Order: sequence, then C-alpha cells, then structure tokens
Amino acid sequence: MAIVHMKDIVKRYSSHIVLDNIDLDIAYGEILGLLGPNGAGKTTLIHALAGIHGFDSGAIEVFGKEQKANLLEIKRQIGLVTQEITLFTDLTAKENLAFFGGVYGLKGEKLKKRIDETLEFVGLSEHARKLPAKFSGGMKRRLNIACALVHRPKFLIMDEPTVGIDPQSRNHILETIRQLNQQGTTILYTTHYIEEIQNLASRVVIMDQGHIIANGTIDELVKKIQYEEKIKLEVAAPTDDLLERLRKLDGVKQVLKNEKEIHIISQVESGNLDRVLSIAREFGGIHSISAEKPTLEDVFLTLTGKRLRDGGEEE
Amino acid sequence: MTIFTFVFKRFFRKKSNIVFLFVLPIGSVFIPTAAWPPIPLGFHYYSLLLLLLAARLGGITLEDRTNKTLLRLSASPISHFQYLFQNLLAYTVILTVVNLVFVFLGVIVHGENLPSPILLFIIYTVFSMTALGFSLAWYSLFRHMETAFSILGGVIVLMGMLGGVMWPVEAMPEYLQQAVMLLPTYWAAESTLIVAYGTQAKDLGTPLVVMILFCIAFLLLGSRRRLT
Ligand SMILES: Nc1ncnc2c1ncn2[C@@H]1O[C@H](COP(=O)(O)OP(=O)(O)O)[C@@H](O)[C@H]1O
Ligand SMILES: [Mg+2]
Repeated sequence: MAIVHMKDIVKRYSSHIVLDNIDLDIAYGEILGLLGPNGAGKTTLIHALAGIHGFDSGAIEVFGKEQKANLLEIKRQIGLVTQEITLFTDLTAKENLAFFGGVYGLKGEKLKKRIDETLEFVGLSEHARKLPAKFSGGMKRRLNIACALVHRPKFLIMDEPTVGIDPQSRNHILETIRQLNQQGTTILYTTHYIEEIQNLASRVVIMDQGHIIANGTIDELVKKIQYEEKIKLEVAAPTDDLLERLRKLDGVKQVLKNEKEIHIISQVESGNLDRVLSIAREFGGIHSISAEKPTLEDVFLTLTGKRLRDGGEEE
Repeated sequence: MTIFTFVFKRFFRKKSNIVFLFVLPIGSVFIPTAAWPPIPLGFHYYSLLLLLLAARLGGITLEDRTNKTLLRLSASPISHFQYLFQNLLAYTVILTVVNLVFVFLGVIVHGENLPSPILLFIIYTVFSMTALGFSLAWYSLFRHMETAFSILGGVIVLMGMLGGVMWPVEAMPEYLQQAVMLLPTYWAAESTLIVAYGTQAKDLGTPLVVMILFCIAFLLLGSRRRLT
C-alpha cells in the first residue's frame, strides 16, 4: 500500500508552471530518492506533500487521507528536514529539539527521553548545551535532521539534507538514514548528488523542469540506457572544431563538454572508441581517454541532455 | 503551549531586551503634567511607548520568517494563528509586568496627582494586546527587518498625532475627527482622557472593547499571510 499517492499535481507561480502534472506513489518502508537539478521543482513538490502550501489542481493522499494545505492531522506523522538549516540560533541544541518536539505535542519525561535519544542518534549528545552557532556545518546539518526526528515520524521527508558538508558528516548522516529506514520509517530523500542516492535509495525518481522524467530502481534506470556507450576524453584544448567532428561520427548521440573533458555518448557497439581516438589524435594534446559503464548520472544526462550539477549550488 | 514558553526563554536570553523594556517607561514616569491633558504627560503618551515596545518584541516573528524556522513550523501541527496567538499572549505577560512597574512608580512619584492608577493599569494592559497584535500583523507584511522597523516608527508617530495623543482630536478638521476612530491610538488616548477628566469608569467599556476587537482583527490579518 502506498503511504503517498500524488495524482496530476499542478502548481504554478503566476504563469510559471513549477509542477507539471506530477504522478507519484511512495510505498510504505521504502527510501525513495528524488533527484533533479536546482529549480527542478523538488522543494515545491515536497512542500505540497507536507501540506505547507496548496497546489492548483490534482490530489494528494498521505496515509490514505486527502492532503490539503494546513491539515494538522497528517502533519503530526510527517517529519520534514528543510533544505536550509532552520534552527533557532538563540536556543541550544537541546532546546531546539525541545521546541520542535513540543510543537508535535511531546512533553515531560517522554520529551526529555526523546531528546536524549535523538541527540545520541545523530551523535550530538556531547554538544547538547551548545548554541548552533558554535557548530560546524556538518553538526548543524545533523541537528537540522534531528529536529525532524524527535517526534518519530512515520514518514520522513529530507530536502537536500547534506548540502555543503564534509564527507565524514555526510557518511554519518547516510548511515543514520539507513538505520531509520530499517526501523520502519519511510523516507523521501531529495538531492542533486547522484552518488548518495545510488547507494541509498531503493527507487529513484528523476525530475526536471517540473516533470518526472524517470521512475524506477537504479538497475532499471541504468538498463534503460544500457544500449549506450560513453567515452570520456580529456584533451588540452577542446575546440569547437573537435566537438563538431565528434558529433558527426556515426552512432554518436550526444557530445558534451565540461572544461577539458568531453563526453561522447553513442549507440552500443558503435566501435566509436577507435574513431574518437583517431580524431582526437589529429587535434593532439590527449590527456586521457576511457570507455565507461553508465551510471545514474548518465541516465540523467541521456534523459535531459544536461549534467545534473549544471547550476548546482555547491555551498 | 510550547511556543508561549519559548518566547520567554528566547526573550530573556538577551539581557539588552530587558534594559530596552524598562528604560523608556521608567524615564517617562517623571515627565510632569503639561497644559493638556490633566494627567502627568508620560501617562498619556504611554500608548505610543507601548506601540514602540510591541514593535521591538514582535520583530522576532519576522526573524523567524526570514531564517525560515517558521517554514519548519508550518510543516508541524501548529497553525499560523496559534503561533501568533501564543506569541501575543507571552508578550502580553511581559508588557503587563512593565505596565505594573510603570504605574507603581507613577503612584510613588506623582501620588494624588495620578488619577485612578488601577484603571490606568487595565487600560495599558488591554492596549498592550492591541499594540502587539498590530506589531505581529505589521511584521507579517514585510521581508526585511530594517524596512519594517523604520517604517513602523513613522507610522507610530503618525498614529499618535492623528489619534489624539499629541494634541486633542478636536483640534483637527471635522472630517478627520471621524476617520481617526479607525486608529487604535484614538481609543487609547480616549481612555486615558476619560481617566484624566475623572469621567465615570463605565465609560471605559467601549474603548476597552474596541481595543480588544482591534487586537483580534490584527491577529486574523497577520495569520492570513503564508508562513514562507
Ligand atoms: N515562492 C515562489 N515564487 C515564485 N517562484 C518560485 C517560488 N518558489 C519556487 N519557485 C520557482 O519554482 C521552481 C522550482 O523551485 P524549487 O521547487 O525550489 O526547485 P528545487 O528544489 O528542485 O531546486 C524554480 O524555478 C523557482 O524559481
Ligand atoms: Mg530545493
């Protein structure tokens, strides 16, 4: 049974369509990865789902009930980790948790116990009495997550929870998410970092410009483009001339340039590796050339013709 | 009542807040009675001071909105109205203490010359709610603290001039005298004048009720605004 059922969701800001007929189901117990570049509409989708704002048409069901903006009953069972760090800077870590636990109706001994458990869970027990201003970026992120966990939501929505933190903190957070999921929490995880989701999510939904452009397990998605081959070429000077020649090769579907790196995607067994190499030789200055297996990143690239990180804000 | 409780926690964490709360009221206790009205002047101007204090207190809700803690709150089972209402209640408690100190000092300084201190205290406390409601509604309209606060300063002075705090309403053109009844300051000035001229206490009923209605209207207005 689905914990979330979204049907034909449309959301506009004046004439700009931000969610364009979104259909999405989330199953109980899964970790669903929601992937898309900045501006794809991920946050908007999440906010509609969490009942923060309404939408222009369509229907959302959460826990089998119809979600409308500001329906308090559904909100009680959802946890939202916001994209920005939304902590009270004048309250300590512990007080922040007490506040957010309190607004979900926890009090007294139970609240105290939950606060301690949650701090322990995100590895901040020793910093319970410090203000967030004294925290590193990673610690702030962990507290930001903790504030959505005190009330033990059945459904946890995480909006880019690891933006701008060190790998160690990131791994800690990803491990936390796995544990939560094993304990039975359904998780919607939004990101524009492909690597995270590749090892975390049981299913991936890819969004671009308000549309869902792919939906499936990582294996399924990769299979879709198995019929393609990717060659990575690094040269001293990737001139337009060179790119043009590569584009004209038989079987080449796309040629993309990223500084000195050129990605050539062609039909499988096109035998283009040799041809690419010989063209590149004419232009000289080859640093490296390699053929690669497709990844989720390639799925995205193939579907949209752009790299996921384009315009991605790396804080 | 989590929000209510945490208002105090957050407010008293900044010691400068406490100084700000008491400096101006204590200072204005000592202003003597002038030609008009027959009450120590600080006690007539006090409604403007309350608006100013409320402006400072309510500002924290704009901070909550700009740093997006309100966004997070809007994902929780707390309505925007609840949020504003609990803020209002907590700040009313804080201002009530200020009012008490103010009136108490007034009695000590002015003795018999300060008419009906208990009625004054009631008026101030009811108007504190109006002022806070106004401040909360005001901040819900703005995105930037500096803009919101500086325009508010001007608006408060203007409301004081038109509402009969700086000079009698009767000194203004006829057509204005009706219009200014739409200002909360008019009712605050009206009530202190009733006390100053020793009119019957039951005449205070209307102004007090109007001030409470203003408060409710402001709260509803403020909570219409989306949290994000
Ligand atoms: N309040 C708003 N008013 C107008 N446009 C908005 C608003 N919020 C988001 N948008 C627009 O909607 C699009 C999707 O934004 P968002 O949902 O934040 O994307 P993502 O989370 O995937 O980066 C963007 O083009 C953004 O500019
Ligand atoms: Mg976003």
